[in-house]
Amino acid sequence: MLVLLFILFGGLAIGCALAVVAQRNPLYSAISLVGVFISLACLYVMLAAPFIAAVQVIVYAGAIMVLVVFVIMLLNVEEEERGRRRLKFLVPMAVAMAAILIAEVAFILVTVQEFRVNPPAGVGLTHSIGTSLFTRYLLPFEITSILLLMAIVGAMTLARRGGLLSTSARVIPGVTTLPRSLVDPRATPDDLRPVEADSTDEAARLLGVTGLRDHSDRDE
Amino acid sequence: MEPQLSWYLALSAVLFTIGVTGVIIKRNVIAMFMCIELMLNAVNLTFVAFASFFQDVVGQLFVFIVMTVAAAEAAVGLGIIIAIFRNRESLDVDDASILKL
Amino acid sequence: MDTAIDIVLKFVAITVVFVVVLLVVAYTVLAERRVLGFIQGRLGPNRVGYGGILQPFADLLKFILKEDIVPDKSTRFIYFLAPVIATMAALMTMIVYPFGPDTRIPFTSITIPLVVARLDIGLLYVLGITSIGVYGIMLAGWSSNNKYSLMGGLRSSAQMISYELALGLSLIGAILLAGTLDLFQVVEQQSGWHGLRWLIIFQPLGFIIYMISAIAETNRVPFDLPEAETELVAGFHTEYSAMKFALFFLAEYINMFTVAMLATTLFLGGWNVPFLDSIFARGTFLFGLVSAIGFLVKVVLILFFYIWLRGTLPRFRFDQLMNFGWKILLPLALINIFITATLIFLRVPGFS
Repeated sequence: MLVLLFILFGGLAIGCALAVVAQRNPLYSAISLVGVFISLACLYVMLAAPFIAAVQVIVYAGAIMVLVVFVIMLLNVEEEERGRRRLKFLVPMAVAMAAILIAEVAFILVTVQEFRVNPPAGVGLTHSIGTSLFTRYLLPFEITSILLLMAIVGAMTLARRGGLLSTSARVIPGVTTLPRSLVDPRATPDDLRPVEADSTDEAARLLGVTGLRDHSDRDE
Repeated sequence: MEPQLSWYLALSAVLFTIGVTGVIIKRNVIAMFMCIELMLNAVNLTFVAFASFFQDVVGQLFVFIVMTVAAAEAAVGLGIIIAIFRNRESLDVDDASILKL
Repeated sequence: MDTAIDIVLKFVAITVVFVVVLLVVAYTVLAERRVLGFIQGRLGPNRVGYGGILQPFADLLKFILKEDIVPDKSTRFIYFLAPVIATMAALMTMIVYPFGPDTRIPFTSITIPLVVARLDIGLLYVLGITSIGVYGIMLAGWSSNNKYSLMGGLRSSAQMISYELALGLSLIGAILLAGTLDLFQVVEQQSGWHGLRWLIIFQPLGFIIYMISAIAETNRVPFDLPEAETELVAGFHTEYSAMKFALFFLAEYINMFTVAMLATTLFLGGWNVPFLDSIFARGTFLFGLVSAIGFLVKVVLILFFYIWLRGTLPRFRFDQLMNFGWKILLPLALINIFITATLIFLRVPGFS
């Protein structure tokens, strides 16, 4: 019974993983990857790790992949074209290595002896994970929280447009000269050839920070 | 007959290999990123299998931490990808072979 | 033989829960239209059957017989997959909610708890499946090949993932008090004080934050900008007609039902009817039956509150909505956890 479940979920995982690699449309790859994550979550349940299975669904399938699908939809990513044929001699080598991998897996499946301990008594339950996490493995836990803080700060810094132009910057109406390096990312910092802008909106557009002025303070 | 530890490890090895193949083959940077996540998940499966078969909870704790790191990496990595896309207008890794924009 | 009886009981339980959920949801749609009508000074649908009782069946017939229009340039596979994901995610959460205590089935000697699956990680399961439901909306918006659908889908899913955080965090306070993620045990713990020891007494702020997040999570007024008729045509389900639209509609109302059941289970005492244990003994069939009915009454009250809100409040603008979710609700939820944890740590009586 468990063997059937393992074959089912394992096959599903491998099938979806092959779909991730083989699909050319990145959205289909993302959906197949969600399939991989969910079948891995089912495998974790079979391995008596229900908490990790739930966390896998919540974090990986429910948050990370949502983010990836968001990015794919926002950037409107197209399909990959059929790649340029490069290094043709690698294809038979890849086939040979795949054959070696399959042979190794078959060898393991056939010849490794049976190894089974008693059914786990509460190892994967929330209680035991929580206890270990907050007593013996507290240092990795705290370091991980700081890592998440670093990620949040990093993501927010990357998402800011227009470099260091603050949200309350206003350009006085009339021709304003700005150093070229603010506008053109390829210019060197001491390139002082001016760029002219007539209003905050035009300067914002030139600087690529058009989203900064929110229109909620204007009566429409 | 129950699924053995070796079966789980073999499955994890196959998933990892598929992930590596994806990273090498794919030209779209988001697809490469997804294959990296696939590799991380294969390793997670190994950890959980060992935790189950050796009755030690530390495997599952490490999976917890790996998932956290993967989430942090996803956030920052996708931010970088969006920033690159804004500058180059293309997500093709083969075309991004020099540092100049 | 035992496992065969177990499997048969599970199938019966799943069927019963499924039928109950579909009936309640169908009549919620009718109730919404009637109640909204009364709030707005008109009668709702009252022609079909006595007082409109058969209206859901008329709607179902209409949906089945309507022409199914598929946009030409849409991505076919994802277009068909999206309502399936939405409905499946909505229905899958039903199995962990406890409808009643351990009850003896009449004419037999089997005692079963009135819950389909007693998972050790019940609450995490609900949160995980809710996260999967976001995909239905995003893929629907994308695959319709329509700018308005895409904008509606992206806005709706951004709103949902923002308020999912506040939802999860507001539940942590209740879980700290209960000490377990198993929803059946959480309800069992609320049966002290003759069935009055509900968690809302200890977690009023958590309850308010949960209700607001739940309304935002299910895209209801005042957070329904992504699917309002006057805004983005109809949001992510613009291009869906007939049965697929019925599936989205159904998924939204089942989601509403789900969050109402979660609120009842965690904060309003679940199936605990006050002072019922002085009338019937626990474990008997009548106790279980009245408890289940009490549970449904509480859920219906929360659904009425949702419908009442729909008739009363205007809707948020999208940036106000995101502002509220991230800058106000999330810090409040964190403060709630902090306060609850402090009270538990100081062993304040009642909070242990």
